[in-house]
Amino acid sequence: MAASQINFTELGTRFQRGSTAPRLINEPAIAAKGIEMVYHAGTQSFHALQDINLEIAKGNIQLLMGPSGSGKTTLLSILAGILTPTSGSVFLLGEEITRMSRQQLSRFRLRNIGFIFQGFNLFPALTAVENIEVILKLKGYRVGAAHKEALFLLEQVGLGNKAKNLPQDLSGGQKQRVAIARALAGDPQLIMADEPTAALDSQSGHAVIALLRNLAKEGGRSVLMVTHDSRIIDVADRVAYLEDGILKR
Amino acid sequence: MASIARKNLFEDIPRFLVAQAGIVFAVSLVTIQTGILEGFTRSTVQLIENSNADIWVAAEEMVHFELTQPLTLGQVAQAQQLAGVNRAEALMIQSGRWRSTSGEIAPVRLIGYDPDGRLFRLWDIKQGNQSDLNEPNTIMVDETNLRSLQLDPENGRGSINSIPARVVGQTQGTQSIATSAFIFTSLENTMNYVSAGLTSNVLCDVQPGGALECSTVYERSDSPADPAASQPRTLTSTDPISYVLVRAEAGQNIEILKQQLEDELVGTQAYTQTEMADHTRSYWEKRTGIGFVLRLGAAVGVVVGMVVVGQILYASVSDHMKEFGTLKAMGASDRVIYSIIIEQALWMAVLGYVPSMAFCLGLGAWTFATQGITILITPLSAIGILGITIAMCGGSALFAIQKVTHVDPAIVFKA
Repeated sequence: MAASQINFTELGTRFQRGSTAPRLINEPAIAAKGIEMVYHAGTQSFHALQDINLEIAKGNIQLLMGPSGSGKTTLLSILAGILTPTSGSVFLLGEEITRMSRQQLSRFRLRNIGFIFQGFNLFPALTAVENIEVILKLKGYRVGAAHKEALFLLEQVGLGNKAKNLPQDLSGGQKQRVAIARALAGDPQLIMADEPTAALDSQSGHAVIALLRNLAKEGGRSVLMVTHDSRIIDVADRVAYLEDGILKR
Repeated sequence: MASIARKNLFEDIPRFLVAQAGIVFAVSLVTIQTGILEGFTRSTVQLIENSNADIWVAAEEMVHFELTQPLTLGQVAQAQQLAGVNRAEALMIQSGRWRSTSGEIAPVRLIGYDPDGRLFRLWDIKQGNQSDLNEPNTIMVDETNLRSLQLDPENGRGSINSIPARVVGQTQGTQSIATSAFIFTSLENTMNYVSAGLTSNVLCDVQPGGALECSTVYERSDSPADPAASQPRTLTSTDPISYVLVRAEAGQNIEILKQQLEDELVGTQAYTQTEMADHTRSYWEKRTGIGFVLRLGAAVGVVVGMVVVGQILYASVSDHMKEFGTLKAMGASDRVIYSIIIEQALWMAVLGYVPSMAFCLGLGAWTFATQGITILITPLSAIGILGITIAMCGGSALFAIQKVTHVDPAIVFKA
C-alpha cells in the first residue's frame, strides 16, 4: 500500500493527494445498473426511480440535478448504500453493495465513503475537532492519532484556529468546511454530497465548490453531488438530470 | 477522544439537572425504603444480636421477641445445672403504662435483666451505670424516648403502673422502631412494676329472699402508690420470666446443648442467637406485612426511576436522532450507537446515585438523632442500590435503543 501524502492549503486551491485505496484500472468508481425504487402505501405504488443506469469514473465529479421530488436524494441514498433499491445493482469501487448485509454495508461506508450534508449534520455538543475525531475513532484511529489527524484536516480547510469552537459558534460556511474535513477523515475514495452549497452564501459556496473540485481532481476521489446550484456545473465532469424518477442525460 | 454520550448529557445543563433531580428522587426513595426496612428489622432484633448468649430458651409458643408465654425463674437454675452450660440468666419482657409527672400516659415495654449479669448488657450507654438499676424503681431509657415519655434528661421521673420510676441513665440506639418505648431495669424492679396497682374487691349483695350474691372485681389503679409499699421484693423460683439466656462452655456443641435444654426445661424451645434473631425478623417482615409495604415502596422507587430516566433518555435520543442517523449513515455499527446511549444512561446512574446516597446518609443521621429511626445503609446495601440504579438506568436505555434502532439513516439527507 502506497504511503499517503496530503498537501492541502486553505479551501483547496492547492490540493494534492496520493490515494491509499486499491484501484482497478478502467473500472468505474460508482456503477448503478437497472435501479428501481418503488414505495408502497396501502394499495398504491409509487415509482420513485425507474431503470437508473449510471457510471461515474474515478476522480470525476458527477452532478445529479433535477426538480424537487424527482428522486435525486433517493438515488444518492441508494448509491451510498443507505437505502436498498427495490431492484437493480450498485457497484462501488468494484464491489456490489446491493448484495451486502447491513453490517457489511456499514463497514463499507465507514471505510470508503465520506458524506457532506446540506444541513451539515455536525454534532452540536462536540467541538469542530471532536466532530472529526469521532469518525476517525470509528475508523480505528487511536485517541492521540485521531486528535492529531483531526487538527490537521481542520487546518487544511482553513479552520485550524476554530478547532475548539462548537458548531453554534461557526458560520454556515465554516460548518460546511468542518463537515468536509470530517468527510475526508480516514481518506475515503468516494464523496457523497447532498446540496453542499444550498445553505451557504455566495462566497462560502464558491469556496466549498473549489474545495470539492480539488478533492476530485487533485485528490483522485470520485464525487457524487446532488445540487440545484448551477455554479457547480462548471466544475463537474458530468451532469445527470432526474425527472420523475427517470434519468435524462 | 470526545464522549458523545457525556457531551450530549451536559449540552443542556438545566435539562440535565432536572433529569438528575428525578433520578436522585428515585434512588433516594429506593434507598430510604430499603434503609428503613433494614433499620426496622435490625431494630427489632438488636437486643438479641447484642446479647452475649449462645442460646435463647423460650416457651414453645413464642411468636417473636416481644410476644411469648412465660417461663419461670426456677428454669434458669435448672438450666444452670446442666452440663455444658457456663452461665444462665433470666430476661423478662413485660408491658406497662408510663405516666409522666405531668399526668400523660404512654405504653412502655419493660425489659428486665440482671444488671450485674453478663449475658444481657446494654451496649451503648450515654449516661449512667447499669449497676444503678439494682436500686429500687430505677430505670434506663433510650435517649430518643425522652420526649415521648416527657422526661427531664437530667433527673427524669415518672411512674410505671402507679409505681414511681427514676431515670438513672440513658442509652442510644437500643429502641425498636416497631414497638413501645423500651424501659430497661432489673428483674426485681420489673416484677414490682408488673404486679403493682392490681387490687381486688369482693362485692356482696343481699338478694330478695335473703341469699347473698358476691363477685370479685379486679381493678388497676394509677394513683401514686405509697413509696414504702412499692419496694421490689426478692424473686422466687415461681416468678415468671420470658427467656433463659444461656452461654455454653467453651467447645460445647451448641446443637446438642439446645436439645438437652429443651429436654430438661419442659415446654420450651431453644434457639441459637442467630435463629432467635431470624425468627423475630421473619415475623416482622412477613407476618406483619411491614416488609412487603417497605419493599413495595422501594419497587415504586425503581419504577419511578425507570420512567424518569426512560423519558429523559428517550427525549435526548429523539433530540439527537439526526446525529445518530448521521453516525449510522457514516458507517457506525448499531453496537456503537447503543454504547453511546448506554454510556449516557450509566453517567445518569452514577451522577444520580452519588448525591442520592449523600442525601440519604445525611437524612439517616438526622432521623436517628431526632427520632431514633435508623435508615440503615450498609456498604453491601449501598453497592446493591448502585446495582439497582445502574439496572434501572440501563433498563430505561432500552426504550431509547428501541427508538434509535428504527432510525432511517436516509433522514440525514433531509435538511
